[in-house]
Amino acid sequence: MKEATPSAARTPSRAAGRYVYRQTASPQEAAQWSRRRIIVTNLRTMIGRAYPRVIGLKREPSWMFFEILLPFLTTSAFVFVYRALQAPQEFIGFVVLGGAMTAFWGNVIWTMGVQLYWEKDQGNLDLYFTTPISMMSVLFGMASGSLVSSCLRAAIVLLVGALVYGVSFAINDWLLLGGVFALTLTALYGFGMILASLFVLWGREAYHLTQALQEPAYFVSGLNFPVAKLGALGAVAISVIPLAVGLDAMRQLAFTGSAATAGVLSPGAEALVLVAMTVIFIGVARVALRKMEWLARHEGRLTLRGG
Amino acid sequence: MGTMAGVVGSRARPLRTRAESLRDAWRSFGTAAKIGWQTESNWTDPLLFFIYSVAKPLAAVAILLVMLAVVSGGNPDPGFRAFVVVGSAMWGLVLGGMAGLAWSLLDDRERYRMLKYLYLSPNALLVLLLGRGAARLAIAVMGALITLGVGVAFLGVGFDLGRVDWLLLVPSLALGFVSIVALGIVLAAICMQTRQESWSYPDAVAGAMFLVVGAVFPLAVLPQAVQVAGLMVPLTWWLEGVRQALVPGSLSSIGGTGSVWAQLTGTIVPGSGAILLGLLVTTVVTTLGALAAYRWSEHRAKERGLLDQTTGS
Repeated sequence: MKEATPSAARTPSRAAGRYVYRQTASPQEAAQWSRRRIIVTNLRTMIGRAYPRVIGLKREPSWMFFEILLPFLTTSAFVFVYRALQAPQEFIGFVVLGGAMTAFWGNVIWTMGVQLYWEKDQGNLDLYFTTPISMMSVLFGMASGSLVSSCLRAAIVLLVGALVYGVSFAINDWLLLGGVFALTLTALYGFGMILASLFVLWGREAYHLTQALQEPAYFVSGLNFPVAKLGALGAVAISVIPLAVGLDAMRQLAFTGSAATAGVLSPGAEALVLVAMTVIFIGVARVALRKMEWLARHEGRLTLRGG
Repeated sequence: MGTMAGVVGSRARPLRTRAESLRDAWRSFGTAAKIGWQTESNWTDPLLFFIYSVAKPLAAVAILLVMLAVVSGGNPDPGFRAFVVVGSAMWGLVLGGMAGLAWSLLDDRERYRMLKYLYLSPNALLVLLLGRGAARLAIAVMGALITLGVGVAFLGVGFDLGRVDWLLLVPSLALGFVSIVALGIVLAAICMQTRQESWSYPDAVAGAMFLVVGAVFPLAVLPQAVQVAGLMVPLTWWLEGVRQALVPGSLSSIGGTGSVWAQLTGTIVPGSGAILLGLLVTTVVTTLGALAAYRWSEHRAKERGLLDQTTGS
């Protein structure tokens, strides 16, 4: 009697092709992954975690209205505050630039910082921790998936704001401006990862505090005005919050020659602060994620929901 | 048999009188409000909760006051500063009221996964959502009062208890609360149809309204078409009513030279009667529209199986 061959064995799937069975002498040997395999697995993790975020945009188009058009109107409200005060035109440019950058702050805080808390609540966090992947890959995948909508929102706020409100940028050093923008994003991602590690341990505190600190963070970051006007508070913000230092540098670079844009430090010095923040935040996040995972497992909080 | 008799004779019988229905709805509202308050407040100690409640509205006022100070070289117009403080404090209520219902719905569907059970219970889902939203509104009231207190004590808001126009203030507040809740119902109706990421929708809608209601600047600086849109929103009249009641004779958000109001009526600023009439008409229209939108949304959600659909991404 002829034995039936399973169809999967006859035509191997793509997944079967990737995960070839390899006989090993012990579980320890099986766990010895090559560097290439580790990198490829983490890259796949990032793509896999970014995918639902990107495809979700296509499936639920209402975000275009609620997350792009309406936030632009919010930014417009602050433009009209300055118009009511008959402020110089570059102040309106500050509001437009700040409005664009809030998209990235929101992305980092809500889709990276608080995300592990959400995952815990939904029962996914323990699954993440049991897979052979880095949590930083998961977090970066989530944030990069959301970056699509954030970039679109920021670009529209900048372009439409410039057109509708007649903002004229005076940029002399495009390279430094682009570098500061990229460094602001990397420092923000590091900051978001540190928050994410803290929120693994926390329960509802994470969500409530993130929500409550949004406006205070905007205030000390000088979202709509030069942060130097806050004096000592602005200086402290520059040394702690990537949004504050990034905005201050970008404002100086985007409105060169305006007396109103005097920053706390020069744009070059602020770029160095951002480099330092990036290195420190990502390093601290790496250690903190491991430590918090260990603590959460030790204290049994990984699967604690609604806490 | 005894069990059957117990069920038949219990309060759970389907045919209830109108009075019993109202009593049950009130009890459901109270229970939901209690749960809402506990969800909002018992995650921390009272001190941190107090800071949490006031940090957001105070920071929002601080942003605007620094903007004023920066432009005016440190000497802002006291009248405009009072205008901003009162408008910004009251705006906290709008944020809390509008977000409360929508977030309760999203919480129960996406996180606690209880929405379908709540829907199946004998109480109207809307009553339960209103109860849950009431807790967030209560926290917003606390934030608004403290922001106003800070404005009076430290920011030079000219508030005199003896000059308060109570006949304008009380109905303005009552109608304003109704309109805020109505807008919250609209947001709940929208979020019932959308995905988990709609957490940000209430803030986005409130932020857009911030532009057209004269919360922190007079409508007269806006293009005329936008001013007309603003006059159709009850929050515009509510803010004007509360502002004129608390600080009589203060800068008007609706009127002023070059405003649509002045062109249409020939008067520079609206009087108390006009404010209350405008608020009443827009509130009634908004409330009826909100209830119709909610009814349609609930029906559609049931038809399409959205009540227990989780959409995490």
